[in-house]
Amino acid sequence: MPITTVLSPFRAWKFLFQNPVTVRDPLTERPGAPRYRGFHQNDAEKCVGCGTCETICQNGAIDMIDVGLAPKDGDSGLRPRIDYGRCCWCALCVDVCMTGSLSMSNAYTWTDANADAFRFTPGVDKKPWDNDQLGYRRPEGHALHGKDRVEMAELEPEARIGTFDEIVAGYDVARARLEADRCVECGLCVATCPAHMAIPQYIKAVRDGDYERGLALLYETNPFSQVCGRVCTHKCETACAAGHEGDPIAIRWLKRHITDQVPHKDYVRIVGKPKKAAKGEAKTIAVVGAGPAGLTAAYDLARQGHKVVVYEVRKHPGGMPRYGIPEYRLPYDILDADIDVIRAMGVEIKCETRVGSDITMDELKAKNDAVILAIGLHLGRSTRIPGSDHADVRKAVDLLRQVTDEDPVDVPKSLVVIGGGNVAMDIARTMARLQMKAYGEVAVTVTALEDKAHFLADPDEIRECGEEGIDIVDARGPQEVVIDADGRVEGLRTWRVQSIFDAQGRFAPSYDESDERIHPGDMVIEAIGQAAGVDMLGEGLTEALEWNRGRIQVDADGRTSESWLWAIGDCVKGPDVVHAVADGHRAAKSILAAFEGKGDEA
Amino acid sequence: MVQDLSDRSQYPARNRDGTLDVDLTSGKYLKLWQGPNHPGITGNMSVELTVCGDEVVEGKTHVGYLHRGFEKLMERRTFIQCFPIVCRICVPEPDFNEYCYAAAVEELAGVEIPEQAKWIRTLILEMGRFNSLMMYLGGQSGSLGLGVIGQWTTYVRDLMLDRFEELTGARIYHMFILPGGVRDTLPEGFDARMEETLREAERTMKDVWNVMFQNAVFRKRTIGVGYINPALFDDYGVTGPTARGGGVAKDVRRDQPYLAYPDLEFEVNVARDSDIYSRADVRRRDALQSIDLIRQILAKMPRTGPVMAKMPNMLHWKIPRGETYIRGECSRGEYGFYVVTDGSGYPRRVNVRGPSYTHAMALLERLIVNCNIADVAALLVSLHTYPPEIER
Amino acid sequence: MQDLQTRLAQHTDLGEWTQQRADLAFVTVAREHLHGLLRHLRDHEGFTHLVLLTAVDWLEDGQFQLTYLMNNRAAARDIGVRVLIPREGADMDSIHDLWPTAATYQRELREMFGIDFPGSPRVDEEFILEGWRDMPPYRRDFDTLKYAQEEFAERPGRVSKDPETHMKQKLYPDGA
Ligand code: SF4
Ligand code: SF4
Ligand code: SF4
Repeated sequence: MPITTVLSPFRAWKFLFQNPVTVRDPLTERPGAPRYRGFHQNDAEKCVGCGTCETICQNGAIDMIDVGLAPKDGDSGLRPRIDYGRCCWCALCVDVCMTGSLSMSNAYTWTDANADAFRFTPGVDKKPWDNDQLGYRRPEGHALHGKDRVEMAELEPEARIGTFDEIVAGYDVARARLEADRCVECGLCVATCPAHMAIPQYIKAVRDGDYERGLALLYETNPFSQVCGRVCTHKCETACAAGHEGDPIAIRWLKRHITDQVPHKDYVRIVGKPKKAAKGEAKTIAVVGAGPAGLTAAYDLARQGHKVVVYEVRKHPGGMPRYGIPEYRLPYDILDADIDVIRAMGVEIKCETRVGSDITMDELKAKNDAVILAIGLHLGRSTRIPGSDHADVRKAVDLLRQVTDEDPVDVPKSLVVIGGGNVAMDIARTMARLQMKAYGEVAVTVTALEDKAHFLADPDEIRECGEEGIDIVDARGPQEVVIDADGRVEGLRTWRVQSIFDAQGRFAPSYDESDERIHPGDMVIEAIGQAAGVDMLGEGLTEALEWNRGRIQVDADGRTSESWLWAIGDCVKGPDVVHAVADGHRAAKSILAAFEGKGDEA
Repeated sequence: MVQDLSDRSQYPARNRDGTLDVDLTSGKYLKLWQGPNHPGITGNMSVELTVCGDEVVEGKTHVGYLHRGFEKLMERRTFIQCFPIVCRICVPEPDFNEYCYAAAVEELAGVEIPEQAKWIRTLILEMGRFNSLMMYLGGQSGSLGLGVIGQWTTYVRDLMLDRFEELTGARIYHMFILPGGVRDTLPEGFDARMEETLREAERTMKDVWNVMFQNAVFRKRTIGVGYINPALFDDYGVTGPTARGGGVAKDVRRDQPYLAYPDLEFEVNVARDSDIYSRADVRRRDALQSIDLIRQILAKMPRTGPVMAKMPNMLHWKIPRGETYIRGECSRGEYGFYVVTDGSGYPRRVNVRGPSYTHAMALLERLIVNCNIADVAALLVSLHTYPPEIER
Repeated sequence: MQDLQTRLAQHTDLGEWTQQRADLAFVTVAREHLHGLLRHLRDHEGFTHLVLLTAVDWLEDGQFQLTYLMNNRAAARDIGVRVLIPREGADMDSIHDLWPTAATYQRELREMFGIDFPGSPRVDEEFILEGWRDMPPYRRDFDTLKYAQEEFAERPGRVSKDPETHMKQKLYPDGA
């Protein structure tokens, strides 16, 4: 051994004269690094209690607990409680958090004599690090699930304007799976869906490619699944947890995808046969109006083995979905397919039968155990401005019905629509298509009271109108239908709207009279709302029923003050298909309960 | 001057079934347990020694003190849920688990990770290697009574842990390399702070050289001790510095390059003598090499672009049926994950191949025969054993 | 690795060949060919390094898959040889004569999967699970969750609510 190897180790002695390198904890505070994964923070206001953090936590460290917040649309009111006896600070919960509410501070010391203290609800149980600015936040662009909605193929505006072909093509299987893959199965959307459809479950069926299971789930809660898959107002998507940090799941399109994937001939088999009611238990129910509300109630009751007859005044069943929604949004054969399923459950539909004249309410009452009124809103309201009684001033609902029943329609070269809701857009786009067919060009002006920021129609509708060459002018108040010397409609005179409601929130538009315009058109179409036609009730019944501001008074289940009569759908509630379906379910449930003697004697 | 210590011709006779004829009541032999609590043990394991005088006639490795059944646990976790647990298979160098697991599922799922992520992964693996080697140097010198080296290497390791903390958000279990890439980019000012750490590390490595490798006691007790005949390497699955200390230039980074290694310049460190000193010296040079590689990585790596590939929703992630093996060169040798998938959202089977599995079991049991009791700890440490990767 | 496949096929009945990567292939062979094939790969094809030996439980098929992974460093390639054996009374020929270190793997497989390797040194000695009395725990039918629930106590006081159910209870308890 060379002598250097004996001497060399003594070089360690130099450390005698050096300062120690250790940190004098706890005298010297040593904060964690800026992205340190320390104790959890949760913005309890922002968190929606979706429980996705719980799902991903492989340590089972998270429980979703009731912290006393009331559930509301898109928020379960639950909040994650974390057990630090289990947590490993992997931050997968932070990475997956649907709202970005969950994060971690850089605090890492916490002592407590009570072991249970380490099970806490961040953001609810106040902690010293709650407002720490440093700590792990999900890095930008880092995501464990897809944020962007999968696009769906659509007809180009040029291709669609000349026809009534359906605009959206629906997802193909690959795209549907991609979109379904984004859903985190939290179930927040279910409460918001009026019919409480089994959304996460049927989306899972799409992921699994098990369309029969998906279809069975759909028709469990919604006999108008095909219809809703196309035209539902999809309130569920506003509640969707995925919408906070990305696009909400295309719930409606996925529903439609399921219905598209299953051949119509298999529907009835998958939905299943109706129950057989026990001998002597089968009741008979009459439904007035073959729209979604009435038919849903009929479907539910028939599936329980009861005999249901539906009376419809029009040529075809379907109600508003048929007569109000244009074919390019909802092809008739789609509606027919849904109605076929309902018929297959044993529901009898009598069309072109007017209750009130062909058969009276008294007769229905006498012949049935219960009667459901689901007559919808089919009378168009009028603006009652000067000139509005002219023959070329038409109501949107009437025109739409004419188009549906293929009655001849005089297509004007140019026209003006009054209204800013979906019906206004529907009639504008329908007439635009007819103009295109007849003259090869579109000349439609839509005048709406609301300004663009407060439009009532769906944004998609407005965008598509624009694409199809329809001119939408916002904030215009109709004043007069201008009629020329020969008595022909020349256009619509409007003033600019300053405000629609007064200080008390009542409808009282005020105008800037200096800003006047004439919108030229050979026809003016009013699309400002509808009313129910209740003449058919007959005087006696009208007297007997309780009313509320012109509508029949009903309880939460749709039962009227007459114990044998239920009234549901648009004629008592707001207009949209899925609410009508939900109404139908409620009424059916209430009627079944009444039959079983749980409710009042029927 | 080396001799094959595995020659066991003179000590106890064998029974017919091949076991040793050891009569403990004869007074000639003694059973001695080294571990599971013992300063010369590298973790939760023990060696059951049968000694005759101060010479070992038989040694048996016992593990299982830290068995957590990771491979089984993973079978009931989704692919993303496996990510946080794999690092725990190896405390001092957890990142290889993260890398091998991520790379295996990426390959099976057909995911290509972004370029920047590859470089950051390489950086992390080299940082981890450096730290693991610091623990080794402390342990190896400690096994021979040189306690102070461990204090110095722990100090630089701690500085490196600071860098880990600011990069990954954690000091020990980084949970940063996840399927699809890495969590984040380098924080601002990282390069400068890393350079400071590397300088400090180089200073410490000089001290280690002077006080450990240039130390007569250390040299006396390690040169020619713990010899492994290179002819045995394949028989016993010997890899990494243990093999390189015996002149075999096995290094996965060079033999089957992965991540950014094809773009890095380095020589494979080897030594000739296959004894404890040679292995220690290879590892010392490996640590210096890691310092150099970290500098190269920081100089060459891209700083823009994504660090995560576009992934499907991790909550429902399913991977088609298949199997693969991913390996890397960790500080101790070949580390690998064999992963089998069956089309579901869970791995069918994961098998972790850690170098200690062969080194500290069959190989150690062979080497320990005829060893002096006082050298057992040094021998065991010189195989750079981390027991959790044996029992997993 | 096609060349290798062609050469091997000349004297061994090869089953399914899976080329996983350019430098990694898996091949299935019948158990009686295993020993000869491994020896051939080791002695004539440069696959001198036994990387690992492990098992996969294909419970639904009633089979264990044994995977022998070997590495040829000079050629920088790996081959995994798969052998399928019935789960019932599973046993397999030992390869400790080819690689002494295989004995460790075989001992583990015996303990964790219950696969016997007659003749493998100390194959019946407990390895990781000293004192284990249950079924070999790496078998797919061993339920870790159930085991944990039976063996270990949960800390009391845990409840978790499912958001969907909770909202239903609070907002529309009768389902409509
Ligand atoms: S950090 Fe990881 S272990 Fe802790 S609660 Fe979040 S997901 Fe669970
Ligand atoms: S994932 Fe986020 S939003 Fe959802 S419950 Fe957890 S913390 Fe709240
Ligand atoms: S659709 Fe949205 S809200 Fe509904 S379960 Fe899926 S992620 Fe949750």
